[in-house]
Amino acid sequence: MSNVITSLWGRETRVIFRRELKSYFLSPIAYVFGGLFLTVLLFLSAKTSLVHGAPATMQPFFLYLPWLFLIFLPGLTMRLWAEERKLGTIELLLTFPVRTSQVVLGKFGAVVAYLGFILLLTLGLPLTLGAYGSIDWPPVLGQYVASLMFAGSFVAVGMFWSSMTRDQIVALLASIVSLSVLFLLGNPSVIEFFGSNLPLWCAGLLNGISPYKYFLSIARGVFDTRDFIYFTCFCGFFLYANVLVLKARRESKG
Amino acid sequence: MIEVDRLEKSYGFARALKGISFSVSKGEVIGFLGPNGAGKSTTMKILTGYLSPSGGSGSVNGLDVVKDSLAVRALIGYLPESTPLYTDMRVDDYLSFCAEIRGVPARDRKAALARAFRLCGLERVTGKNIVELSKGYKQRVGLAQAIVHEPPVLILDEPTSGLDPNQIVEVRKLIERLGEEHTVVLSTHYLQEVEKSCSRVIIVNHGEIVADGTQEQLLAKQPGGGLRVRVRGPEAAVLTQLKELLVDVPVEVVDRNDDGNDDGNDYRIAGDGDQAPMAEAIARTVINNGWDLLSLQRETPDLEDVFRKLTLSQAEAANV
Repeated sequence: MSNVITSLWGRETRVIFRRELKSYFLSPIAYVFGGLFLTVLLFLSAKTSLVHGAPATMQPFFLYLPWLFLIFLPGLTMRLWAEERKLGTIELLLTFPVRTSQVVLGKFGAVVAYLGFILLLTLGLPLTLGAYGSIDWPPVLGQYVASLMFAGSFVAVGMFWSSMTRDQIVALLASIVSLSVLFLLGNPSVIEFFGSNLPLWCAGLLNGISPYKYFLSIARGVFDTRDFIYFTCFCGFFLYANVLVLKARRESKG
Repeated sequence: MIEVDRLEKSYGFARALKGISFSVSKGEVIGFLGPNGAGKSTTMKILTGYLSPSGGSGSVNGLDVVKDSLAVRALIGYLPESTPLYTDMRVDDYLSFCAEIRGVPARDRKAALARAFRLCGLERVTGKNIVELSKGYKQRVGLAQAIVHEPPVLILDEPTSGLDPNQIVEVRKLIERLGEEHTVVLSTHYLQEVEKSCSRVIIVNHGEIVADGTQEQLLAKQPGGGLRVRVRGPEAAVLTQLKELLVDVPVEVVDRNDDGNDDGNDYRIAGDGDQAPMAEAIARTVINNGWDLLSLQRETPDLEDVFRKLTLSQAEAANV
């Protein structure tokens, strides 16, 4: 068991990770996606934050960010396996002497690293705000970490759907629908509505599975190790499901 | 080196492999022949761990392809059908990735790449993007990918499909060279490829092995070496005369050449062994009857005959 765990981020995983990450910077999609994402995000946040007399706060930025993830990430993750199938390279990938879990984790890690890079590019905003007002850096950095974990949880779901189907559009729609539901379940007003109609434990459970709930709790400035554990488990669950789907395909036509 | 025992594979209700068994010794070059959908690719995909079998077992170097999949995969260089490549990468980056993921240590990687480039004739294109390469070069990149870690076993699924005749010759030469150091299993549609580069042939059809042996062994089993004679004359009379002459030897009309000109009929006379006396007798009969003897030749069976005979069903054969 311990050797399985240490192999998870072993040499093979890192080789896959590096190739994937490099491929993002070789493909126009990553630039178009990154450019569009950053433009929309910074425009929306700057409109509210970079206004004369407005308080120097990153609140609008972290308010819009999850919504943009919801809109943009399914388009990015739908290709992850579908593209490998289209090119046929999945057959190479799964016949290299590498564990399926390592392939999945390497791919996942590369998307998260790419998104981390995009988030780094947004640091210009808090730096600008800090130059003209005062920014409380510790919570802002915490929120950045939370954002990345939140994005990771969405990537894990989207990647799972991409492994389920050959069709990119099906993967896209399935991701949008499931992520929207997960998103809404973390929304306090939605849970209030459920709370008045469902038993309390039930509403709590629904609320408890939503990554958005944990994102909000970190965004409030409270960084709890339980939130971190939650994101790890959430991603782990979907990545493991992804591995199972790929393994099950060995039984059929591949 | 490779042992396959009653291997089965079903896709839903379709049985792609109905329990095939064969073994390959070290240093052999095996040609896997069969029509599309016969089960060639499926067998290869199971050996390389891409698919798992529904029944039976396979092993490479004594390691089970299911239980020791990772260890088996480390022994194999695999070129899947239609040569998938990461086309956005440069040739050298791609090869370096393949070497690295297969565990070629960093200090040996440069030499391994150089060897693969040299063997596959890729030296001139190492800095190019794969997407810019011609089909022949892409195929060579696929082969280079399969040999870069110097695996003891090479599994090549249709390594020459889609190439032009010159490229086919080149790839075939490359495979011959590789066959000197590696155990090779390749599948193909091209019979010449097998005739030229394989030490043994396995023919599969409808998920079963229908022939397994050297070319000489397969050709020896093929009845043939009959005579084919073209005669211009009334068909019924010719047939009667020939049958009278050759008691108990089947005679049949194989081609009526009915394209308007009176080019006569082709008759096939079965039989093997020394046919010179029979040929003489036939020629004399035809001439004596006042018909025209247009040609008389001995049929020599080739691998194509063997292949067609074994893989065409009766109904299909009748239409050929």
